[in-house]
Amino acid sequence: MSESALLHFAQHRLQEAALLCMAVVYAFRIRWLLSFKDARDKQAPTGRGVVDPESGKYYSLANIAMPWAMESTRNSPFFYLQFAVFHLGVACAITLSFIIPYLPGLLELPPVVKAIQGFTAAAFVIGVGRMIRRIAVPVMRLISTPDDYFSLALLTVWFPFAFLAAPNDRGGGEGVLLTFFFLTAFFLVYVPFSKISHYLYYPFTRFWLGRTMGHRGVFPMRQPVHPR
Amino acid sequence: MSDATRSHKAKKFLERLPKKLSRQIVGSLVGCVHCGMCTQSCHYMLSNPEDPTFAPAHKADQLRKIFKRHIDWTGRVFPWWVSAKSVFTDSELEDLKDIAFGKCTNCRRCTFNCPMGVDFASANRTLRGLLVHVGVMPEGVAVVSKDQWEIGNQMGVLKEDYIETLEWMSDELSGELGDAGARIPIDVKNAAVVYSINPREVKYDPRSISDAAKIFWAARENWCMPSECWDMTNFGLFSGDDDLGGAAGRRLFEKVMELKGRKLVISECGHGYRSTRCEAQNWAGQSFPVDMESSVITMLRYIKEGRIKVDKAKNKESYTFHDSCNNARSCGLTEEPRELLNLVAPDFREMHPNRAENYCCTGGGGAMSMSEYTPRRLKSAKIKAEQLKATGATVVVTSCHNCVDGLSDLIKHYKLDMKVTQLVNLVAEALVIPAKVAAPAAGKVLALAGRTIMVVDDEPDALTFFSALLADHGARTIPVSDPNEVLKAARKEKPDLITLDISMPGKDGGEVLCELRKNPETEAIKVCVITGRPELRKLIYDRTVRPPEGYLDKPVDEAKLLTNVRKILELAHEDVPVES
Repeated sequence: MSESALLHFAQHRLQEAALLCMAVVYAFRIRWLLSFKDARDKQAPTGRGVVDPESGKYYSLANIAMPWAMESTRNSPFFYLQFAVFHLGVACAITLSFIIPYLPGLLELPPVVKAIQGFTAAAFVIGVGRMIRRIAVPVMRLISTPDDYFSLALLTVWFPFAFLAAPNDRGGGEGVLLTFFFLTAFFLVYVPFSKISHYLYYPFTRFWLGRTMGHRGVFPMRQPVHPR
Repeated sequence: MSDATRSHKAKKFLERLPKKLSRQIVGSLVGCVHCGMCTQSCHYMLSNPEDPTFAPAHKADQLRKIFKRHIDWTGRVFPWWVSAKSVFTDSELEDLKDIAFGKCTNCRRCTFNCPMGVDFASANRTLRGLLVHVGVMPEGVAVVSKDQWEIGNQMGVLKEDYIETLEWMSDELSGELGDAGARIPIDVKNAAVVYSINPREVKYDPRSISDAAKIFWAARENWCMPSECWDMTNFGLFSGDDDLGGAAGRRLFEKVMELKGRKLVISECGHGYRSTRCEAQNWAGQSFPVDMESSVITMLRYIKEGRIKVDKAKNKESYTFHDSCNNARSCGLTEEPRELLNLVAPDFREMHPNRAENYCCTGGGGAMSMSEYTPRRLKSAKIKAEQLKATGATVVVTSCHNCVDGLSDLIKHYKLDMKVTQLVNLVAEALVIPAKVAAPAAGKVLALAGRTIMVVDDEPDALTFFSALLADHGARTIPVSDPNEVLKAARKEKPDLITLDISMPGKDGGEVLCELRKNPETEAIKVCVITGRPELRKLIYDRTVRPPEGYLDKPVDEAKLLTNVRKILELAHEDVPVES
């Protein structure tokens, strides 16, 4: 079935414009971040034996994939699992926004559709759970900003539309696809101004922490001895 | 509120803000996603789960809000949306002070548990620095910073007192070892080791100096201590004042270079080691060609190289090890102290969690100098107390003077049956001294013979213990249990020294001290405060009269009491009469 001019616009021009906008703002954000002085360690490396500051950087950057490395993730495996699935859901939904216009043939493979739907459905459930946690737990309420609530709500609403859009079936009309693409475009434009841009900062913050801690022989961290 | 109504201090605070920011701090301020993962890593939060204001993210948000309002354009354009907020009044600055100094010890445990790598502790230190810049800080921070700027060490130890203590320790050491050459060398050029210490060692724990000297002597080390610029601690780390941090570090490095010392060895002190070894050159903005190591590594090296021999059986208790936050989380010093402890003590029990995941002693970040936060600090020490108790050990060993004080306080508060010591004490105790120089056994030493000491304490057990102990060493003792009788008894007996409890019914030790100092007949009498409630030390030090000559925390053991009493009475160079 051929797509309407509006859907074509939403899939192509709108997404391209939104991506461009995001990229430009990101470029400014990184330039701004790097405009501050670099507080690099001046002293000789600390730590035992041969210190390899490089390994500290890599360890720090890979930290997110090592739930055993931090007490907070080691002691809360279910929370870590939620984090992983939620972010995989985001990755699936973003990928879907490229697959539909550029590689629609992929969506004729049922496992691909099922995988996208599985992750986005799970991410939706987690998003709802996280919203409840953010509202119900006093400490979460205290630290949350309107942006925190809105960003989470935006993603949580976006997931079901990704779920419904994944089969790329226009038989029932274009409403679902149009909503998905307009939401995606809004998401892309909003991201650089919101907390969702944390993934832009992540490599920088972890790199700097890893560089310092690697120089001081703290990273890679020696795992604590646990009680038997 | 408008910009026009902003207070002078708030204006200065905001003017200073951009200058304090680095990429790393900005990254930490923009990178937080408020996921809440940090909440379970903070000892304040774990001990006060009912109070969400202790959450590290909330504490860091106090600076983050101001940063967003003035630096990050999202907050400048949409302040409400990202909870950006400016600061206008002195009262708001005071609120920030309460959080930056009173609700965080900068232990960095939350940083290590943040998936984003947000360095909460560095952000908090930045906030402290901004507040200090406009003169908003706890009184203790102001006093200690002033001492470090003006006198050159953070406890205001005068050069003559420092030198006198070293000479006194040298006398003790040569007496103990029976070797006239066993002394503390001062200002030796080209020494292999220049040893720097924490002023707390001079004031309250001179035994750690003599223990270190004993180890250097046993290792036949070519070492010395500087006559000046010997303080390796650095209050700039706690106050966030990089200028002070750089100046303090520079003084020490330049002294080592002047002496042409080959290595600077830093005594056991977490913040001192971090400041000197890892931070001072950053704050000073220049590198210094000074080779440095922790005394823990030095002692370990001596044993491994066979330069000293130890007999671990001499340390008979059960030991656990507390990692100083600064050593473990900022300098990677976690394995060497354990290796050393295992070499000098047969019964070592690991505490959990340990190493970089260990809990703060709760006395870090300068907390011990901020008496106004003591009740909060001790309440927040609950998690640490439980951790210590679970080890079943009788002694907790640490490589940090701050931790010694912090742990001693919480052990007392939670009534744990434990003592605190440092590795230097255990190594010195375990030293195998060659027989030819072993001290000759003599009769009982009457270290306090001819001295009159008045012991003031309302607790009968303490009164009896101190009186008997001092009498055993030759002193004539006058026990006084009623604080109202002290002045009268002092005027009559004219003691050389009064040991004074603080917390007593009817009249506290601070009032008694005032009475003594204001009376011409008793003003010159030396006073040593001995208290089981260190949070009350403010009662003493807030007074306008001359402070006491000494200060001890209960419980006090025989060696500690005797050492301090002799120091106060300046008995260092006198011959000690011996009972044959």
